[in-house]
Parts: sequence; structure tokens; C-alpha cells
Amino acid sequence: MKNTNVELAQFLAHSIELESEARDRYQELADSMAQHNNPQAAQFFRRMAEEGNQHLAEVALLTEGMTLPVLNAWEFSWPGAEPPETTSYEALHYRMSLRDAMGLALENERAAEGYYRQFADSSEDPETARTAEGFAEEELSHAAELQRMLQSLPKNSAHSREEDDDPHMPE
Amino acid sequence: MTDSAKLKARDYKSAVKPIWCPGCGHFSVFNAITKAMAALAIDKDDTVMVSGIGCSSRLPAYVDSYGFHGVHGRGLAVGQGLKVARPDLTVLVMGGDGDGFSIGGNHFIHACRRNVNLTYIAMDNEVYGMTKGQASPTTPIDWDHSTLTPHGPGVRPFKPAALALAAGAPWIARAYSGNPNQMAQLIAAAVEFPGFSFLHVMSQCITFCPEQTDWKKIVHERAEPALSDADQAAKLFLHEDGFETGLLYSEQRASWPPAAVETPSDGAMDALAASFRVSTGVTRQ
Repeated sequence: MKNTNVELAQFLAHSIELESEARDRYQELADSMAQHNNPQAAQFFRRMAEEGNQHLAEVALLTEGMTLPVLNAWEFSWPGAEPPETTSYEALHYRMSLRDAMGLALENERAAEGYYRQFADSSEDPETARTAEGFAEEELSHAAELQRMLQSLPKNSAHSREEDDDPHMPE
Repeated sequence: MTDSAKLKARDYKSAVKPIWCPGCGHFSVFNAITKAMAALAIDKDDTVMVSGIGCSSRLPAYVDSYGFHGVHGRGLAVGQGLKVARPDLTVLVMGGDGDGFSIGGNHFIHACRRNVNLTYIAMDNEVYGMTKGQASPTTPIDWDHSTLTPHGPGVRPFKPAALALAAGAPWIARAYSGNPNQMAQLIAAAVEFPGFSFLHVMSQCITFCPEQTDWKKIVHERAEPALSDADQAAKLFLHEDGFETGLLYSEQRASWPPAAVETPSDGAMDALAASFRVSTGVTRQ
């Protein structure tokens, strides 16, 4: 059993929640896009879920032998209503393009980087600060990779979300 | 019997994938329910989700527990019957604003006054979404997006919290789909409340009411403790903006049925079933 650093344990508990929420939401978005016949966005979100799963495993590895605080979903402390890497539902559209989907993921990575960086800057414990800084750098590298992928895609058409089938049917 | 102590929210999701529109607030309610179940370590085998009809009423299929996708507006009738017959079960009833306040309006008010120990989650998006966007009992008076009501419904919307209070509901809370973690906390508290707990959820319909994404700018969490005085609560519910979230009202009062009412024995149930066989010819399996 490692000698538990309380601040580090608190930080890692938040990191695990952040990564698992991000993964679960990507999985949900992938399923949702598949249901709505948007295979491109579904495939991208599924890939993000798989990557999220890997990040989660990496964070979990760091916690081996540690006793982490057990918190309910509403007991975590986040800058917003949900963890910073979790995609907002209302940003979605069933006809969103791959570019839209990547743009959302890029925002998520940047938000996570900002969260970790802020944690690193404000932590009084050197080990926690170092770990948070490492996570921030990793999120930054994910964001850079997404940025590269985005640049290789064609720009969205101005009408990419225009409805062929207006939901307001004449009654 | 499942080992609920080790289950996470995702373990309470079934293999059935939601078909709600991407961006629908109901995803958030679904996640909040599973988070609350995980937090309370609820046994899936002792939990039943009951619903009526509508987009939101699809939810029982997505939760890995027992479920009953019922008749339009009758989720509360089924849920109350189930809870009275099987008080050992955890019963959550859910549906939309049309299902709960229009077609099921009568069941709603009587469920409030009857105070059976169950949780009712009304997922209110102020519109009939499944039938493509008609005005519901909570649609704003001037909402003119439907060709059925081109100048708006022209009638004032219900205030669900005020209606619940007037009908006798002892526990009234409000949540917003943009804040699923607060909603999960409220659902957990609702399930633990020993009586009828009414959670009114503002759950956006991104397809027919895209303007509801603005709700995030106006919702505000209640800073004060829940009211326990009905007079004060009546003033609040009649005059508030309708966007305050949190536990708004809570009072302790005996739930129905009283403990003195005995659950019918198996023999009595068999006799009742036999009487049905005589009159209907239907054989009980």
C-alpha cells in the first residue's frame, strides 16, 4: 500500500471521473450517431471512446495501491456542470459532419488541458502539480493531433446541417 | 440478486441504445437515473421503471432493470398499483409533459394526493415531440412553431410545481438537463424520500424547440433549503420564473397505503384471479 498523498488521491479521483465520463459520453454519441445513420461521426466518436478508454487505463495504473476517495457524481468539483472533457449534448446534431465532430473533440481536449493546467498551477503539493502538468501536456498533444486531422479535412459546406426533411411536418 | 455495491452508472444501462435525437435532454435524464442508481447501490432486480407514451417514455427500455412501457398517461396508475402490491420494490415512473399533465393529468393530481412511496420524473420539453411538435400543457402561450397553433396555443401553460403542491405532493424538486449531476443527486434524494416524490425536469427538445438551448442562461440553483410550509411554497410556485432548480418543497406526511393495510395473501389473490376467470374466461398463467 502506497503512503497516500491526500491531494494527489483527490486529484486522481477527479482524473478518473473526467476520463471515464468523457469515454462514456463518446460511446453514447457513437451509438446515437449510428442510430441516426451518420456513420462518419459514429466511427470518429467510437475511436475517441477507445482512446478515452486507454487514457483511463493509464490514469488507473497510477492509482494502483492508493486509496482514492469514493465520491458520488455530484460530489466532484468541476469548473462547469459536467467534467471538462465531456461533450455537451446540445452541441450535437444528427447531421453533424466529421469536421463538426472533430471540432467538438478538440474543444474537449482543450478544456481538459485547461483544467489540468489550472490544477497544476494551484496545487501546493509538488507531486500532484507534477502529475497534473503531465496530464495537461498529454491533453495538449491530443489537441494538436486533432488540429492536424482537422486541417486535412475539407471545410463544411454552409448547408451541411440543412434539413432535407424538415421536422415540422404540415399537420 | 446482483452485487450492486460494485456497480457503476454504466452497468445500469441495458443493451438497447436510445433513439432520441442527438442533443435531446432525455439522454441527460437517463444518465442521471443510472448515476443515482449507482450511488444508492440499487438492486436492479428490485427496481422497476414505469412509463407512459412519448419520447421520454422510451426510457425504461434503456435501463437494465425491470420496466413497463405502459399506456399513454397511465404510467402513474401502473406504478402506484405496482408499489402498493409490491412495497419492497423501488418504483420510478417517468414520462413527458403531454403524457403527465394532459393525457395523464388526472392520474398526476391523484398520485400527488395519494402519496404512494414512489418517484415520478416528468421530463418536460414543453412539446409533443414524438408526434412532431404540437403544443402541450406546458407550452408557452405564444409559441408559434407548430402549424396547428400558428399564433401560439393562446392559453397559459400549467405550472407543474404549483399543480403538484395544490394536489398534495409532499416532495417537489426541479432539475435541468444541462446539469445531470445535480439531477442525479435529486433523483437519489427522491428515491430515498418515504412518499411520493415529484421531480420536474426541464429537458430540452433540440428538434422542435431549439430555442430551449437558451435555458442554460436562465436556470439558477436554489440557494436556500427546501420550503416545508405549503403557504410559502404556493407563493413561490405561483410567482417564480420556473427556472429555479433544486429541492423546492419537502414535508413529511404518511404515505399511502398505511402500514395497517395488509397485503393480500396468495390465497386471496388466487380467489380474485379465479373470479376473473369466471367472468372473462381468461386463464391466469
